[in-house]
Amino acid sequence: MANIEELLDSLAQDAAPVKPAPHPLMLSLGWVAAAVGYIVLSLWISGLRPDLLQKFHEPWFVAEMLVLALIVLATSLSAAVLAFPDLHQMRKAAVAPAGLFAIFIVTIFFAWRADAPPAPLPMHSFECTVSITLFALLPAVWTFLSMRRFASTHCRWAGSVALLFAFSVGALWLRMYELNDSILHVIEWHYLPMLGIGLIGWWMGKRVLKW
Amino acid sequence: MTVKTENLEALMKQSLDGDKHAYAQLLQETTRFLRPYLAQRLNAASEVDDVLQEILISIHKARHTYDGERPYKPWAYAIAKFRLQDHLRAHYADQLHHAVELSEVENELQENVTKSDISYESISGEIEKLPPRQAAILQMMHREGYTAKEVAEKTGMNESAVKVAAHRAYKILRKVLER
Repeated sequence: MANIEELLDSLAQDAAPVKPAPHPLMLSLGWVAAAVGYIVLSLWISGLRPDLLQKFHEPWFVAEMLVLALIVLATSLSAAVLAFPDLHQMRKAAVAPAGLFAIFIVTIFFAWRADAPPAPLPMHSFECTVSITLFALLPAVWTFLSMRRFASTHCRWAGSVALLFAFSVGALWLRMYELNDSILHVIEWHYLPMLGIGLIGWWMGKRVLKW
Repeated sequence: MTVKTENLEALMKQSLDGDKHAYAQLLQETTRFLRPYLAQRLNAASEVDDVLQEILISIHKARHTYDGERPYKPWAYAIAKFRLQDHLRAHYADQLHHAVELSEVENELQENVTKSDISYESISGEIEKLPPRQAAILQMMHREGYTAKEVAEKTGMNESAVKVAAHRAYKILRKVLER
């Protein structure tokens, strides 16, 4: 009891003015703005896929890109919310990516059904996963570093969502860069690895976001 | 005097501006509502104090994640729950670390019964210094010749518990005799 009193006194004496953390929406907006800048800069350097304008006339491609962009937004907001001990009392925002991933699966299913006759598979395979992962490194680093400044009480979940955000940014970039029409290839080498990335994030979260 | 819930937010806002008095009052109130929460979930009073200290330090470290605009208690409870889980995880991991593997015990029991070069009588002095239950179990098993199952029936313990108690007694004796 005496120890508690001493601790309270010492903490109170240490009460210097503190700048409150930004709202998760602002935090998320900052990450998304940085991600957009990063994609634009990368596409400016690497160039867009030559048939991109034409692809935007295909409804399932547009739907896929739209839902993927929404996943980027939802995962960034979820990661921002999860950086706060009480999820900033916005629990729905924290679980929002789950709904969008479900919509994404349905969208991809219809895109696969519409791919008849199936577009030929490209010559490459795992290179796409590697490219997305390498592209995602920078967003992953800045997101984790930023989240470490706060105090997550859901470290594993936060780590998983943060990596999914970074990987979605990479997936979005590659879809606009790579000349490829095979939805099977995209499912196998662009989107299925997200499961593994989520697990790696789960593992990393506990180690990187622990405070 | 108990501060009204809505005032906790105001106190935290003042604390974030560097008001030491408001911060002391806020931490006092936090201690007041967290102590019963912890007491319900932990056995020993000393444990409650230890975890409470951890939580107060965590609240202090994480106070920049609170803006004074949302209810204070859910924020404080989220940190309390997090630290309590940490504590319980470490506690159970420690217990697991010290737990005795039953197969290890069974091997050792056979070894001790059949191959021991030391007689019960030669170390009876050391056995008497053991905790009474362990001493009684060794006496029944090695002087009176009961099996672990029979000891369990006689003492009303379960057989595994008898084996574990005997194993712990052997460990203590081994340490003593190796000196």
